[in-house]
Amino acid sequence: MEFGWSSEEEAHRQGVRDLLAATLPPDWEALAVHGPGSDFQTDYSRTFCPLLAEKGLLVPNWPAKYGGQDAPVWRQFILGEEMWAANEPRGAQYMNVNWIGPALMRFGTADQLERYLPPIREGRAIWCQGFSEPSAGSDLAALRTTATPVEGGYRVSGAKIWTSYAGKADTCFLLARVPASENGPAGKSAIVILLTDMSSPGIQVKQIPALIGEGDIHEVFFDDVFVPAENRLGEEGQAWEIITYALQNERTGIARYEFSRRMLDRGVARLKAEGRWADPVVQERAARALMLCEAARMLVYRVVDAKAHDLPADAFPSVARWAVVQADNGVNDFLTEFLPDGLIGADPVQLAHHQRAIAAGVASGAAEIQLNLIARRWLELPGEPKR
Amino acid sequence: MNFEPSEDQASVLAALDQVLADFRAPPVEPVASAYSQDLADLLAESGFLDIAREDGFGPLDAALVVERVSRSPWAVETAATALVAPAAVLPAGGGPIALLEGKAGGPARFLPVARKLVFLAGDHAEILSVRPEQVAPVESLMAYPYGRLQSPEDRVVEAVVDAVPIRRRWRVGLAAEAAGAMAAALGVVLEHVKTRHAFGRPLGAFQAIQHRLAMAAETVESVRWLARRAAWSDTEADAALAAGFAQSRIAAFTYDLHQFSGAMGLTLEFPLHLWTYRLRALAGELGGASIQARAVAKAVWGDAA
Ligand SMILES: Cc1cc2nc3c(=O)[nH]c(=O)nc-3n(C[C@H](O)[C@H](O)[C@H](O)COP(=O)(O)OP(=O)(O)OC[C@H]3O[C@@H](n4cnc5c(N)ncnc54)[C@H](O)[C@@H]3O)c2cc1C
Repeated sequence: MEFGWSSEEEAHRQGVRDLLAATLPPDWEALAVHGPGSDFQTDYSRTFCPLLAEKGLLVPNWPAKYGGQDAPVWRQFILGEEMWAANEPRGAQYMNVNWIGPALMRFGTADQLERYLPPIREGRAIWCQGFSEPSAGSDLAALRTTATPVEGGYRVSGAKIWTSYAGKADTCFLLARVPASENGPAGKSAIVILLTDMSSPGIQVKQIPALIGEGDIHEVFFDDVFVPAENRLGEEGQAWEIITYALQNERTGIARYEFSRRMLDRGVARLKAEGRWADPVVQERAARALMLCEAARMLVYRVVDAKAHDLPADAFPSVARWAVVQADNGVNDFLTEFLPDGLIGADPVQLAHHQRAIAAGVASGAAEIQLNLIARRWLELPGEPKR
Repeated sequence: MNFEPSEDQASVLAALDQVLADFRAPPVEPVASAYSQDLADLLAESGFLDIAREDGFGPLDAALVVERVSRSPWAVETAATALVAPAAVLPAGGGPIALLEGKAGGPARFLPVARKLVFLAGDHAEILSVRPEQVAPVESLMAYPYGRLQSPEDRVVEAVVDAVPIRRRWRVGLAAEAAGAMAAALGVVLEHVKTRHAFGRPLGAFQAIQHRLAMAAETVESVRWLARRAAWSDTEADAALAAGFAQSRIAAFTYDLHQFSGAMGLTLEFPLHLWTYRLRALAGELGGASIQARAVAKAVWGDAA
């Protein structure tokens, strides 16, 4: 048991930092204020990710036979920490690297691998994730978008919501339901995954004005959209297994606490500059926020370490996610109370952090759903009977 | 980074578990605190508490021992002997050791059974030998044996040492002890809410209870890993952070666990207090969470502009 970095890992981290310093435009902080899903950052990822790819830093975690380097789990994770702390210059593409690519490798056909993997590993693919619907968020299995089997494929109708990156995406990792037939599959087993070309006729994307930054989330409408059968990932009925696997691969998630930690450092620097740091109340509250960040860091590291040791998946990622939500909010609360002007024009980075923090407990599964998972799967408490 | 115990650590902990196996059951009599001289003797004889002094081992291994022993319903002194003594340049085998800060005549954990007292007074610490007749036991709800020096003004100081390493290791030990006690206390209450029924279902099936226990689980894990990291790095910042985090969570954590135990949780018959009243004692040591937080701020960001 030990909690330090090897010299190789430290050099890797420094290399990533140097690359960011040398590559990002000087006014990056201001440009990146709308977050990874903004139009600006999505476009920027189309030049930044190919550069990462060229340096072997985009998909090092992938198996060599798919263009990766079989790099250790920690290597990829350190990269993720540095990227998120820099407000994610990979934009939407971190998602491709972390779970869409791996899900394709596991369940895709040879033709699908050939079609979709090269653009991902070369850093020129933008995907979106079409899961949530107006009546299916936490209760994802309640989704209603239909995929009606037709000659050569499916016709898709319905609506998705909260879809990040949809405005600029080339492909959607879309969940839809094959309409119930007599004796046919129902519930989760009627769901299919369709890798849907976003330029297909019948798709309409609308941005949703939001508190969390311009261009981040969208509504996507599907009006009788044809998707060829060869774009179905896995078999009909296999979708739930695939997304469970895919999201498990996301279990290391985003290193949110790292951005929060750096925001705290930045906040303290501002408080010092304003002559307000000597106040013991300020010091105490800053340190309490730091405690939350470091707790979250340790729990996320525990998840990454389990993956590095190839241990079977368990419910610990939900424990870590709860800590991460506390950390993001703890730092945000501290900054909002002690540096309120940061949200009123004085610090664009603080605003960006605020916008990430307020979504932390909702995006990629509500915090309360994590608590449910901890209770059932980690503490093995009994389920609440259905009424 | 490696969260898995080494082979050596695993075998030390397995051997320790064998010793602890006989001390899993709480005392049969309803008592506010349970001290076990037998367990203390066994731990001292077997050398577990001197592990930080062994070649190839260090404070992390000592913290793992402290954490593990703290899961027992029986309170025995581990943290001062295993973590503080090596940093205070005290010889091995000198325990039990009581730790005290503030007033020389104040109550200290384990003082009635201690052979040494480390008294932290500002930037230095006094080391004293203690004999039982110098100590007046103090009755309390806290589940440790407490005592105070009968005549602190007559104390004979054997050595004066730097307070910094002592405070640091005290913090690490406090966090490790809290981690063990929290894990055990949560285990007791999980068992309770799985077996007790109300409104036709186990208490643990109510989401209101599930969510707070899930948060308690996060607290246990966070305290555990922060304590281990602090023991490993042995830095001021990590030590104060681990202790402060643990202390900041103790109030809500112990409140919820007692709450879900109902009236039973307020009795001495139910063993929960053997851990929660150790935790509540730890919550106020070394000035409590706020003082630890200020120490963190100082260590991480420095004092002034
Ligand atoms: C920034 C952002 C980006 C997103 N990007 C995407 C994306 O790219 N693709 C996509 O498909 N989705 C995306 N989402 C949607 C996200 O997955 C959902 O918002 C999330 O799953 C919660 O669903 P909901 O918003 O419908 O909330 P609901 O399901 O309506 O829940 C609302 C609240 O009720 C509580 N709650 C719900 N169920 C339970 C329960 N069983 N027990 C206790 N409490 C409960 C929780 O507090 C929850 O926050 C994104 C969301 C955000 C905020």
